[in-house]
Parts: sequence; structure tokens; C-alpha cells
Amino acid sequence: MIPPAETIDYHAQSPEVSERFTKLKERPVVLSVDDLTKVFPSRNGDVTALKSVDFEVYRREFMCVIGPSGCGKSTLIRILAGLETETSGAVLLDGNPVAGPGPDRGMVFQSYTLFPWLTVKQNVMFGPKMAGHKEAGVEADARQWIELVGLSQFENSYPHQLSGGMKQRVAIARALANRPRILLMDEPFGALDAQTRAQMQSYLLQIWRNLDITILFITHDLDEAIYLADRILVLKANPGEVDEILEVPVPRPRNLDQFIEPEFIATKHHINQLIHPESERHQDNLPFPRMTPLGDDVE
Amino acid sequence: MSGLGKDAREPWFAVRRELSPKRATVLTVISFALPLLIWSAVSYLPFLWHPDVQLQLSAHRKDVATVYVAGDRVSKGFFPEFQSAVRKQNEELKEQLASEDPLDGASESSVRRANKKVLRHLAPLLIKNRWLKDDQNTDDEAIYHAWGEIASGENTLKRPALSEENIAIVQENWKAMSAIAPNYDSDLFISVPLFSLVPQGKASNPDYLPAPDRVLMTGVKIFNIPAEGGRPSMIQRVGHSLQIVFGGFLLAALVGVPIGVVCGTYPFFSRLIEPFTDFFRYMPAPTFSTLLVAIFLANDAPKIALVFIGTFFQLVLVVSNTTRRLDMPLLEAAQTLGASQRQLLAKVVVPGILPSLYDDLRILLGWAWTWLVIAELVGVKSGLTEFIETQGRFRNFDLVFPVIILIGLIGFFTDQILSLVKGLVFPYTDDGPKASSHPIVKTVLFIPRLIKRLISKSQPDAA
Repeated sequence: MIPPAETIDYHAQSPEVSERFTKLKERPVVLSVDDLTKVFPSRNGDVTALKSVDFEVYRREFMCVIGPSGCGKSTLIRILAGLETETSGAVLLDGNPVAGPGPDRGMVFQSYTLFPWLTVKQNVMFGPKMAGHKEAGVEADARQWIELVGLSQFENSYPHQLSGGMKQRVAIARALANRPRILLMDEPFGALDAQTRAQMQSYLLQIWRNLDITILFITHDLDEAIYLADRILVLKANPGEVDEILEVPVPRPRNLDQFIEPEFIATKHHINQLIHPESERHQDNLPFPRMTPLGDDVE
Repeated sequence: MSGLGKDAREPWFAVRRELSPKRATVLTVISFALPLLIWSAVSYLPFLWHPDVQLQLSAHRKDVATVYVAGDRVSKGFFPEFQSAVRKQNEELKEQLASEDPLDGASESSVRRANKKVLRHLAPLLIKNRWLKDDQNTDDEAIYHAWGEIASGENTLKRPALSEENIAIVQENWKAMSAIAPNYDSDLFISVPLFSLVPQGKASNPDYLPAPDRVLMTGVKIFNIPAEGGRPSMIQRVGHSLQIVFGGFLLAALVGVPIGVVCGTYPFFSRLIEPFTDFFRYMPAPTFSTLLVAIFLANDAPKIALVFIGTFFQLVLVVSNTTRRLDMPLLEAAQTLGASQRQLLAKVVVPGILPSLYDDLRILLGWAWTWLVIAELVGVKSGLTEFIETQGRFRNFDLVFPVIILIGLIGFFTDQILSLVKGLVFPYTDDGPKASSHPIVKTVLFIPRLIKRLISKSQPDAA
């Protein structure tokens, strides 16, 4: 019997979980975001997309960023990747300020960004070749990354021959081939169907665990965030501010059965409360008069 | 075969629903057959249009300066007038012959000259009936003999036939002629005026719409005329025209593509180059023709320059637009993978736009073709256009048509081949390399396939 979500305190962590977070915070900080603000100038006055965002990502941490649409999630990750510049504040990677995009921060986009004129293998080799590494070594390395994402038999296929999930797996391999300090993922599974998405989530968790990489993952899907993350950063909209950084009490290794466990549900309930306050939710109740559109007798 | 029944249940007209490959092929065939059919119908069905009468037999009218010969076209309205004028002339001659002075004051020699004309008016009809050879139209002896045969009923003209009225006139004239000399003798030639044959003709279209068979025949003929003196053969003309088109186009592409790519990549160059290019392209290329002749003198240089001007400015704008349309996320992804600014241009922008660039150049090659005719009129006329111009002035439209159609065919097939090749050059695009499913290839193979199917159907046990 599952108790009602409201009655569970998601803060209540089991001893192993709380020990895990203590250890996590002892690790070195990979990415540090310091008082980050982004203002977009527009004709109708400036729009503040992000306001004083402050957080750290620790080594080997899996962090998810979640928030209502328009809260600046994408702006945040684009600034971290160096594709946009911040208005004020700083982004530090291993303590050094970030300027512009670079191979030390791998990025996986929501849209498919494989180069259509390159084969799977050539796509994975792209980053190392840009860095000027030797062809032979790069190719052997690329083969390993492709094997890691389970696409060895497709290494000579072109992207248009792959399914959406396969494309994103190649995109992950391509980003990892540069051996980045952190992997930034901007709703990478957003365009996939539910089954493929669940499969991709498990793949990602496996890769993360086996390679000990650090991941910052943006999503608008609560289940996805709770299933994947160590910690979840909840952003508030207008302006985008950090609402809360919460520690997910669900033990690892994760599996899909945990979706109905009390910790999972309580965490989800808590985030839901943050994103959709009580007052807002009740406005959704539409009047619902009784109708018989099919014309049959209604008992 | 099992698919046939299913296909039959599909509607032919449904909003944005793809037709089956078989139906698509059939429609492609019809798309070409239909205009050809209309052209044939208008040409071969005498009750369709045919506003003119083409003379098979002409006549000379006294005191009228305009001379019509067999083969000329007169309007349907005028033809009966022409006939009745000749009949009236014959009536008057009859009265004159019955009067005191049958020669009406004319000299014997002028009457003989007029009589010879009357005699020879029958020649075109005789040639058509193959009684005479093509070059015998002034062979008076043979013509005289033919008059005799017709008058005696020994032989009759069939295709085309001589009208009853004219046979009577032939007999009457022959009576007078044979009384003087049964065989042709220029010394004894009749000096009594003869009756004129009444003009005959058949309904026809104006000369600017020759029939398909005629266009095909002249097409074959003009291609077999070898080069002679200063006049190049048709093949040489085609080669020359291709040189102008491709010369101008390749030059424009060679200079324009890099400029367009750079404009599409760097806003700096876009702002610097595109506004003026945009302005320049509105100045029609032909307006520069005299200027180009002044700069590049005669021969091919100003022609190629005209094709260049007509294509280049358009090309720069099209290519820069194509470059700008490259997916931004691809460029961003490349940057997060560590590509430098220079690597972005060489390793992402250029390979990324190649398939679209290929399509652009295909379309722009079509543009270059449209400038060909004007370019070939610049300075010294040349190539296919010179032929069209010259023959068109003489109203030899049956010679003009094959050349116009040929230009269309060259352009069309170049484009189709290029679109086929695209699949081979860019195997990663979705319109990949499946030559056999290409509509034009299927259309070309349609007839042989149909025959094959009919054969296999008629021999079910062959397998």
C-alpha cells in the first residue's frame, strides 16, 4: 500500500543515500556557475531570461535542470556551452572561466545535429580530427565509441539511414570522443517516442556509470529527471531563477520499477508543487456540463 | 499483377495523396503525348482550324501585280474570289475569241508567252502526281505531253486530282493546241490565247504551324547538311551554342559560388556585396550588349560575357541564400566539437550546402540557357540562333521548329541527367541513387517494358 504522496517527506533519505550525497559534495567541482544573469534586449524593454543563477556540478555527478517552459533552461545550457554570452556572472570549468564553445564541454542537442554528409564513423571522428589528431588513432578510437553505443554495424551508414534514437546515440558518442570534462545535454530525448526514450535513458545511465562522466541534463519531463539525476535543479520562470536544488532520494542503481516507489512519487509531487503552484492548478478546472454527443440514452 | 486490383480502387484525385508509381509513369507519358496529340490533330484534321488554302494550282490574273504560285497560302476568304476572277477572265476570253479580233490587239509573241505560263501552271500538280520529276517544272515538252494525256483521258491525275472544270479547260485548250502541233514545238506554239486553269487548293494551316511529320523530316534533313563554305553544319552550330551557354555559366559559377558562400557565411561580406548585387541584377543583361561588343569586340567573348552577366548576379544571391539556410544547429554542434572559425567554413558550411548548391546550379544553368538566344544575336550572329533568325525571316518555320525543339531537348535532358547524377554524387541525401525509379527513366523505359509485358502475357507458358 503506497501512502499518499503529500504525506511523505522526500527529504527523508535512507542512510546510504545521504552518505552518497555527502561523498558527492566532497568531490572536486567541475562546473561552477556564479551569479549568472542573462538579459535579452528587446523593443518592449529588456527581458531577463536568467537571474543570479548559482550552482555547482561535482565530478561524476548527474545533474538535471527542470523547469516550466520559458524558464531559461535552454539559455542556461547554451551559455554553459559557450554558444551564448552571459550578461553578468561567470561560468567556471575546473576553476577557469569559459569563453566560447570548446571541445571540453560536449553537447548533445534536441534536434538531430549529425553531419548528414559524413558516415556514423566520420561523425564520431569529427571532433578529434578538428583537434588535429592523427587519422589512424582517431579511427580506432571512434570505433570504440561506436561500439559503446551499440552501433558497430552501422559505422558506415549515413545519418538519414538511422532512426531518431540511433542518431542521438551517435551524437552522444561523437560528443564523448572529444573526452569532454562535462557532457551537456539539451532535452536530447525530447523528440523520441516514449519507448525509445525509456531505452535511451537506460543506455545513458549505463554509459554514465561505466565511464564516470559528469552530465548536466536539461529536460521538462519530471519522471526523466528523477530517474536519471543525482540532484535536480528546479528553475522558476520570469525571470529564470533557481527555485531549489533537490537531492533525489531514490537509491541507485535505478530501474523503471522505482517509478512507483514512495520516494520517487514524493519527489515528483514536491517538484510538481514547485513548478505548478496549487493556486495555478485549480484554474484549469473547466465547467463540464453533461452532454450526450452520441445521442444514446444515458443511464 | 496482384497489385493491379488494389490500384484500381485508389482514387485518381485525392488531395496531396501520392499516386502509385505505375500511374505516375502513365501520367508522365501522357504529359508529353498530349501536346503532341493536339499538335497532330490541328495539323492533320482538316476541319480543325485550317484558316488558309494552300494552292496546288495557281493562275495568272491579267492586270493584277500580285503573283501566287503553287504552294503559296491564301486566306479562305480570298480563295473563292481568286477562282471567280479567273473564271471571269475565261468568260471574257471566250467572248474575245468569238469577236473579230481574237488577239485583242496583243502581239503574237506576248500571247505565246502568256500561253506558256498557262501550260506551266499545271506543272506543280504533275510533279505532285509524280508524272514529272522535281526539276521538270519548266520542261515544256513533258508538260505539253501531259496536257495531251489528260485531255484524251488516257491518264488522270489522282493525288491531287484535277477538278472537272479544269479537265474541261484542259480539253478545250488541247483541242486548240493539238490542231496546230500534236507534239510540242516551240516554233509552232499556239498564238491564240488559251483559257487559264481555275486555281485549286486544299485547306491548310498558316506557315508558322508546320505539321509534326514535316518538322521531323526537315529536322533530319538539316542535320545531314554538311558544313559548306562559311556555313557551319547543324552539329557545329549546336557545339557553338553549347560553348556559349556553358562558357558563360561555368565562368559565373567559378566566380559566383565562392562569393556567394562567403556572403552567406559572413554577414560582413553579405552587407558589403549583396545590396549592390541585388540592384545590379535588375538591369537586364541584354541592355549591356552594345557595351560588351565595345569591350570584348566581336566573336564569342561578348556573347559569353552576356550569359555571364545574366547569370552571375542571380547566382551570387541564390548561393548566399542557400548558404544561410544551412541548419544553424549543425554549426553550433561543430563548434562544441571544437571546430575553429576556418574549420567551420571548410568542414561544415561547404560540405553542408553542396547538395543544395548542386540544385541551385542546375536551376541557374536553365537561366543561362534563356540568355543564349540574345547572346548569339550580339555582334556577329552565330550558332543555332543565327539559323533560327535567318530561316525565320524567310518564313521557313518548318526549319525553325526543329531547332527550337532541339534547344528544349538539350536543356531538358541536361537537367534530367544532372538530377540523376545527384543521387550518385550525394548518396547521403534522401533522394538517393535509385536511377530506375526516376520518372523520366521510367518513361523512357515505358514502351519497351509494355512490349515485354505484352509478350510475356501472350506466352504464359514461356517461363
